[in-house]
Parts: sequence; structure tokens; C-alpha cells
Amino acid sequence: MTDKKTRTIKVDYLARVEGEGSMHLKIKDDELVDVKLKIFEPPRFFEGLLRGRSYKEAPDITSRICGICPVAYQMSAVHAIEDAFGVKVDGSLRDLRRLIYCGEWISSHSLHIYMLHAPDFLGYESAIHMAKDHKDKVQSGLQLKKAGNSIMSLIGGREIHPINVKVGGFYKVPTKKELLSLKDELEQAKDIAVETVKWVRGFDFPDFEQDYEFVSLKGKNEYPFNQGRLVSNKGLDIDANEFDDNFIEEHVEHSTALHCIKKDGGSYFTGPMARYALNYDNLSDIAKAAAQESGIGKICNNPFKSIIVRAIEVLYACDESLRIIENYVEPEKPSIDIQVKAGTGYAITEAPRGLLYHRYSIDDNGDITDAKIVPPTSQNQKIIEDDLWKFVPKYMHLPDDKLQFHSEQAIRNYDPCISCSTHFLKMDVERL
Amino acid sequence: MSEKTLIIGVGNLYRGDDAAGLMVSRSIQGKLDADIIEHDGEVTSLMDVMRGRKSVIIIDAVCSGANVGEILEYDLNKISLPDIFAKSSTHSFGISEAVELIKVIDVLPEKLIFYGVEGKYFDEGQGVCNEVNDSVTVLAEKIIKDLEKINA
Repeated sequence: MTDKKTRTIKVDYLARVEGEGSMHLKIKDDELVDVKLKIFEPPRFFEGLLRGRSYKEAPDITSRICGICPVAYQMSAVHAIEDAFGVKVDGSLRDLRRLIYCGEWISSHSLHIYMLHAPDFLGYESAIHMAKDHKDKVQSGLQLKKAGNSIMSLIGGREIHPINVKVGGFYKVPTKKELLSLKDELEQAKDIAVETVKWVRGFDFPDFEQDYEFVSLKGKNEYPFNQGRLVSNKGLDIDANEFDDNFIEEHVEHSTALHCIKKDGGSYFTGPMARYALNYDNLSDIAKAAAQESGIGKICNNPFKSIIVRAIEVLYACDESLRIIENYVEPEKPSIDIQVKAGTGYAITEAPRGLLYHRYSIDDNGDITDAKIVPPTSQNQKIIEDDLWKFVPKYMHLPDDKLQFHSEQAIRNYDPCISCSTHFLKMDVERL
Repeated sequence: MSEKTLIIGVGNLYRGDDAAGLMVSRSIQGKLDADIIEHDGEVTSLMDVMRGRKSVIIIDAVCSGANVGEILEYDLNKISLPDIFAKSSTHSFGISEAVELIKVIDVLPEKLIFYGVEGKYFDEGQGVCNEVNDSVTVLAEKIIKDLEKINA
């Protein structure tokens, strides 16, 4: 403490946020006077690495940005480049792209629900501690996650950093028989997903609702993965090529991180809660039924209940995977023909944790001259800080360790992925 | 149950010294009678690849406060990785957490050795520092010699 009435909580390592992060809270005279969150640094290295490379390399290079959501990076890359070339991938190839994205959602969401977020609600320090008392639950979570990995492995060529995605489609497509081999595992996963919604809806949630601006893709007659207009509940309705006109990455003083905000200065909320609020009607019947039973309504404004929304999305992704597999007709060719032409292309896809924007400029030789990547955590960072400003005062009477716990839980609501940022952080907890 | 030793090189080629584990696994490829794979440390997949194995060696870069390039060796059936490792992985759910979780809900391989190479730079970028590069060579030679002895 710097004086009797000032306390500073500085957490240089945010446990159970993938990758690294730091949080700084300063309280003076029982008033919160400063919130600094550093959980994201932009993938500028990769943007630089892409310049001068062939467009063909972009899916594989960008998939290396994040070990948790490589498919999202590949999907945004291929769609942006296809936009530049003026080509559209449709039919079974489009379905396969939805399917591999389902795999990533199932895998990523399951990890977050069971390993990172549920321990908060049940009062455990970590999933390992939770597993000692809830072994069956953790095993269910791992089984669910594995079903997602199986989809990524079959379509992507391997679970980690899939290598089968290319501009125009895939290098190789699965046979119907190969896809059907996933069916039993996914049926079991769907059952687990139903139980997961029931489990998490019974947790105790802090009373914390905000008037958010939710921003997500809105699909035409489908819950969005790769395509749709970018919309919000407060009037936004744009195409991907208008993203730069409406959003700006802002440098923040306390770190090298960037906050992506609306050009009018406002923060916004991207990710499962936004997708759910803006696309509820396009959920499958079983996902809608689970949502109704959970009692969260068609729009959920309590970020702590994001764990329920994630569970509903896992259920939807299992259901959607089975639908795609059932209807799959093997395409004649694994990819469509591509004609290289100079231009700029844009794409937004829905990574598990929110919007992932890619923009590429390409020359006549097919080489990338400029690249811009705006990941979801860059976009949610400002709204997380906004939440902390409103949430922390409710718990300031608690000892520092309890206050830290609740604050970290508030951050984990957003499943911030910072493994796409840098390395480790100093692992000390400093209290002044 | 496979009798061959499984060697898992963990890391990220685009994170400076974090590539150490992958570099070791690549440099021993084809030089010994073992199954050698590269991995990013993802927990469920790691559990899958280790399941049914009698002998596993994991190699990863670490940031523990030791001297840069120092090689740390842990027999994970005898001790747990220090807590500091649990909070220092660039991977989604650290190696340490993965191993501890397996202890709770599954069975560890009879022999499970972890080699950590202390890194210095983990920023985005390609290439490791000289100290780590030297240690990669030393550790690769050690693993080859150790396994040759066991296999003999």
C-alpha cells in the first residue's frame, strides 16, 4: 500500500486465461481509480511475415498465430483472399468449411467451459483440483473436446495447425465414409453437450447485467461461421469491406496492446454472447430447446452466463456437424480453380471467442503486399475493462485475494485468447 | 502397449526460443529407434498420444529463472513439475497441468521424463538464441546416447 487508504492490486499473470495477461487495479479512498488490463498484443509479426509471400502461404502461416483457433485464422485468410480474387466457394466445400469450424468451436469451448471457467463457479483453484472431486465431469469435458479435435483432424489433416485448408477449398476432401466414421463420436458428444448445458445452468451467477453493443456476423438462415453481414443490436449493418470505416485499433498507454473500438469511441462485445443475441433464431431446435430450459432468454446480458451460451454453442456445433455429415456429397474436385488478380480482399469469420478480421492486398503475381489481422481479443479488451470498472466496486470490500479472484473470473467470461500474443509474463503477484 | 519410446517435442517455431523442443525432436529424427512427434502441448491430444505408452520423453522450452540454455530434467513419476512451469507455458493448457490432470483421471506412462530448455526470448519471431541452440545439440546427443544404452 502506498498510503493507508490506497491499495493497488497488480496481477502480472492471469491464471486460466490462455497465454498470458496482466491486470492492474488501483483503489483509493474506497473508490476504484484505475483499471489497466494487458491481455493482448496484435499479431504484427505475422502481418510483416506475410508481406512478399504468396497468397497460397497465408492459411498455413496465419494458422500458427494461435494454437487454440488455427481454423479461424485459416478461414478468415482464405475467405479474404477469395474476396480479392472475386471467387466464391460453395456447395460441399462450403459445408466442409462449416464442419471444420464446428470442430474448432467444440474443442475450444469445451476447454474453456470445463478446464478454465467451471472451476471459478465451483470454487476450485484449477481444473486439476476440480478433477479430484468431479472426475466424471472433467472426463466428459475431455471427451467433448476430443470430438471437436476428431473433426479438425479428419478434415484439416491433423488436430493441431491443420494443413489441408487452401484458397479455393482443400488439398484433399474426405469421403462420405470417412465423415460417417465421426458420427458415433459426435452423437455421444451431443449427449454430453446437452448435459453440459444442464450442468452449467445450475451454477450461481453474480447479478451483473450491462447494456452491451453486441457485434457479430448474421447469417442468412444459418448460425454464422464464415459468412454474413456484420451487425449489432444498435444498428450496425455492414459488409466486411467496411470494417476499417467503422472500427479502429487504438493504442493504449499502459501497454503495447491495441484496443479495437468503434470509430465513434465506443466499446463493443464480440463472441458467443453476441452471436447468440443476434442469431438466436438460426440455432437448431435442440440448441433452442436447451437455451429455453436454461432460462437465459433470447438475449443474455450477463457475461458470467457466457458459460451457458458457450455450452449451447457446443450443442449447436455438434448438431450442425451431424447435419452436415448426413447431407454430405463428395465434391468433384477438392478445390475450385483460382485466377490470380491484383486487388484487396476482406473477410470476417467467427472464431470461438469472436470476430476475426483479415484484409489482404495482393499483386498480379499473387504475392501479398499488405496484411491486416484484427483478432477477437483485441476487440473485447475494451469491454472487459469497462466490465471491471463496473464490477470491481461491488467487491472492493473483500480482501485482495478474493477481489482478485472475482476480477479474474470477470475477465475469463470473455475467454480471452492471448496465446496469439506473446510469451509468458512475470509470475509474481505484487500488492503495494 | 507400444514398447518403443515416444519422444514428444513441444513448442512453437514462431516464438523464438519456444522452438527448442521442436528443434530437438527434429535433430534426432531418424537417428534412433523411437517414435518421434511434434506437439503444441494441447492437453487432450497429449493425453491421447501418451495413452498406452510405457516410456515417454517430453521436451519443451521453459522460463523458470534458470540460466539461459540450462537443461532441466524431471522424472514426472517421481516428482511434479514445479508450479512455476504451470504458469509459464505458451500452450493452451500447460504441459504441467496436462501431466497433473492425467495423474488424477488416467494413468501416466511407466517412464515419463521431461526435459526443459531454459529460454530467453519468447516474442514472436523465428530462430533461437545461441545458448538455446547449443543446448538443443547437447540434449539431442544425450537423448540418443541414453536410448541407445536402454535399447542395447
